[in-house]
Formats: sequence, C-alpha cells, structure tokens
Amino acid sequence: MIRSLTLEWLKIRNYRVFWILTGMYFLALLIIASGGMFLLEWLKNQGADFKGINPTIIPIYDFPDIWQNTTYLATFVKVLLAFIVIISVNNDITYSTLRQNIIDGISKKEYLLSKLLFIITMAAASVLFLFVIGFINGSIYSQVWGWEYIFDEMEFLIVFLYEVVIYCTLAFLLSLIIKKAGFVIVAMFLYTFMFEPIATAVMLHAPYFEGTIVRDIAQFFPIEALNKLIPVPYGRYVFLEIEDNVSITAIFIATGWFVFYLSSIFYILKKRDLN
Amino acid sequence: MERILKINSLTKHFGRIHAVNNLELEVFKGQVFGILGPNGSGKTTTLGMILDVVAPTSGTFRWFDDGCTVEARKKIGSILETPCFYPYLTAVQNLRITAHIKQCGTQNIDAVLKQVGLYDRRNDRFKTYSLGMKQRLSIGAALLSDPPVLILDEPTNGLDPEGIAEVRELIRKIAGEGKTIIMASHLLDEVQKVCTHFCVLRKGFKLHEGSVSDTLGEINKVEVSSEDMAKLEAVIQDFKGMVSYQSNGSAIELILKDDVNAIAVNNYCFENGITLKKLLTHTNTLEKEFLKILREND
Repeated sequence: MIRSLTLEWLKIRNYRVFWILTGMYFLALLIIASGGMFLLEWLKNQGADFKGINPTIIPIYDFPDIWQNTTYLATFVKVLLAFIVIISVNNDITYSTLRQNIIDGISKKEYLLSKLLFIITMAAASVLFLFVIGFINGSIYSQVWGWEYIFDEMEFLIVFLYEVVIYCTLAFLLSLIIKKAGFVIVAMFLYTFMFEPIATAVMLHAPYFEGTIVRDIAQFFPIEALNKLIPVPYGRYVFLEIEDNVSITAIFIATGWFVFYLSSIFYILKKRDLN
Repeated sequence: MERILKINSLTKHFGRIHAVNNLELEVFKGQVFGILGPNGSGKTTTLGMILDVVAPTSGTFRWFDDGCTVEARKKIGSILETPCFYPYLTAVQNLRITAHIKQCGTQNIDAVLKQVGLYDRRNDRFKTYSLGMKQRLSIGAALLSDPPVLILDEPTNGLDPEGIAEVRELIRKIAGEGKTIIMASHLLDEVQKVCTHFCVLRKGFKLHEGSVSDTLGEINKVEVSSEDMAKLEAVIQDFKGMVSYQSNGSAIELILKDDVNAIAVNNYCFENGITLKKLLTHTNTLEKEFLKILREND
C-alpha cells in the first residue's frame, strides 16, 4: 500500500502543474466553504429580505448543519480534483510511463491501486481541510456550541469523501478510454454540469413523464447518483424541515457505479496492449 | 545450464495481422541472444509480450522457471525503442522512480549516471535532453538494479557513432560478467559483433535458431593473388589443404579444409617461389547467412 502510494508521490512531487491545480482546488474549497456569510452580507446590502428576515441571521454556519451545508457546496468543486486525476493518468499514457512502470516491475493491479490510493489521499485531505474550515467558521458564527453538536452529522464528511473518490475513479476510467486529457476534461465538465443535470431534470419534472418509470430511472444516472448522496440542505431555512439523512438507496446506487468503474479500469488495463 | 526464459507457442494477432505465430524459444544463462528479422517481423511484439505490456493471443512464457512475472520483471533491465520517462522530472528524479519500482535502492543512481555520461546533466529535466541522451538515460535505468538479465530493443537507435561503439562495448562488458542479454535488432552487423546465439523471425514465424559461431563457422575461404597469376594457379592446384578453388583472372578463391588457415597458404606459396600480392581471409557474415535463411524460406 505505502509502496504504491510512494510511487504516485515520486511522480507528482516535482510536477508544477500538479501543485498549481491542487492549490486552485483547495482555494476553491476555502472560498466555497467560508464565503456563505459574505454572500449573505452582500444580499443584505442589496436590500434582499426573506419574508422580512435579515439574511445574515440565517444560521448556515450552525453546528451541526454546517457539515451538510459545507460538504454540499464542496461537491461542486470536486470536478477540479477530477482534473488532477485526469492529468495524472493522462501523463502516464502520453509519456508511455504506464508501459515503462509495468516493464520495470509493477503489476497492473498495483498501478490501479496506486492511482486509487492517490485519489483517496486527495479526498481525505479535502475532508480534513473542510473539517478544519468548518470548525473555524462554526467557532465564529455558530449560535450553538458543544461537542455533541460539533461532532453530530459527521457522516456528511464521510459521504463527501466517498462521493469524491467515486467521481475521481470515473475520471480515471474516462482518461484510460479517451486518452486525450483536454477532451476528457471538457467532456467531464459538460456532462457533470450540463448534459446529465438537464437530462435528469427533464426526466424528473417534465409533466410528460408523470407517473412513468422514467421518474424512477433518473436516480440511477452516474452523476445524479452522486448528487443524491448529500441532499440539498437549504430547504431547511425555507420549509424548516428537510432531508438531512444520508439516503441508503443513494449509497447503494453509488457503490454499484464505483464497482463498475473499478472493474472496467482493471479490465482495460488487463486487455489493452500498451505501446 | 540454467534456463532464463522459455517461450511456449506464443501467438499474437492484431486483428487479421499475425504478428507472432507459435513462437518457441529458450534462452539460457550467459547467452547473448539476438532476435533478428526485417521490419515488422514481430521482434518488438515478442519482447512486449514477455514483458507483459502486450497481451498474448495464446501461448505462455516463463522467466527463471518460476511463476511470478512481476517479480521476474524487477530482475530484468529493459531498453526499448523509445525512452519513456517523465519529461518534467530530472534524470535523478526519474531514476528514483525506477529504483522505487525495482526495489533496488537509490545508491546506484550516481554511479549509473556517470557510466552513461549524464552525470553533469543529472539535474536537468528529461525534456531538455537530446535523443541520444534520452537513450543513454534508458540504458542507465536498465543498469540501475544491476539486473542478471538485460533486454535490448534496437539499442543503438538514435545514437551517434561514438554512442553506438559505447553501447556495444557495454553489452560485451555486461555479457562478460556472465549476464544474459536478449536483444532485437535489424542491424546484422551489430548482432554478429556481440551475440552468441540468434534466431531469425519473419512475419511472426521463427525461421532459424542457432549459435552465431556455428552458423558463421561453416566456411573457410581465402582469396589470393600475385604478379604472375598463371604460375600461382599452377602451383596452387597442388595445395593439399584445399577443398576447391576458383579463379576469376585477377584473384583466386580457395575453400580450405577445416584445420588449414591462411598462414599455411602463405607458407606453401612462398616455398614454391611465389610472393603473394594479396592474401585475404573471408569470414562469413551474418548478413549473408541471414539473406540465405530468408531465401531458403521463401
């Protein structure tokens, strides 16, 4: 395990592109995780009000709600982490270093393991980062305080890790199939933020599909399956009650995709001739 | 003798193209084994299969008579056609990755870089290297773990004449240490100079396999001429150590018996009052043999 991870570390530690992208990713996490209050302040200055309520008193940074709020927003920047994975896999293909690594003496399974561990490490670093940022923001703004609140609903951080790992594994798979980094990045971006959301929105909300099986199929789509892991939290400030539990069905569907991605990667590595 | 590699009816099809067909091969310890063949004869595909980067259509191979090919690859140094390294890393950083995979420690890196003449450039990025330097780095990477087996695919491609001579010297030196070398080449001269054994591939079929000295030792030919060709021919007819001769006017070609050499011819002529103007020993070249093998199998 450590050996596989060290291999990845040796490949990236002197790679400037990696550090720039990683810096951008964590900066984006920081902004998205702590920008909420600035946004509310801005809304207030613009004269917005929610049924007469001053926006800045909306308790978005209250423990334990902060964990769902933060991780939900953070899933929007997971695509940046996926770009890092795409570039890392793509380098091994374009420079033929995947082939060279195999020739030098690792198995294809070890290669898969080294990339997967790299993904998990990056995801774990993101979670740790979000925890620290959340803790700081909560310390500043939370109106409730106490360990039982702070460490409640921690499952959202775990689910966030799982979601990021699965998404990056999809990026790994696509990089192996498509081989052109730029193309994979554009395809992944468009699919995540446009194609699938539009398709599933149509399936879920178009009156035409009312009462048909199409309504039920939408949740099985790869991005929708991940989006469902952390439900949209902001309804709680409008409807006062929302889904704030991780859905077991969503975990099952996401796990199905994860297994599919990993076995496809393994199959491709095993069957493909590396030239 | 200890067997290093055994290939059993290895076959690779790329769609309708049969790149390698039922290849059988054995390589033993200490051999310098050349795989010869025209372009597209399946040399590189064969090496790719025994290094696990090309999936065989059928057939098997075994390294060191044990099952684990991953562990075996750590004991093999490989130099393939194109040097593959991370362009954004320096020579030292790249070799650290190789050392990590081969589990051989980083203590040899400096020595290896000195050996291939890249020590002064060791902290420059790989992408700034010329093709020859890249090739040298891949030689360095192959030697890093001091492996008992070396696989070379067109090892002198892209090198300048000095580099070619160095690589040949290196191969001889490594072979002298009792290591096993498997090399693919279409440069027959190269194979003849360094190999002990060879096989010939064409269109994926093995046409010939044998030792270089056996194949080349078949003929013993000497070419002579003197000022007085008529007298030379008259005298040479009675030379006992000769199988046959042929005159073409300006020179006479003698096929000698196995235990007779050019010195005997020179002595004989001198004793019979003829001073030779030219005495040329013909050695068979692999090139001729190679072409002969290809012709025989047409």
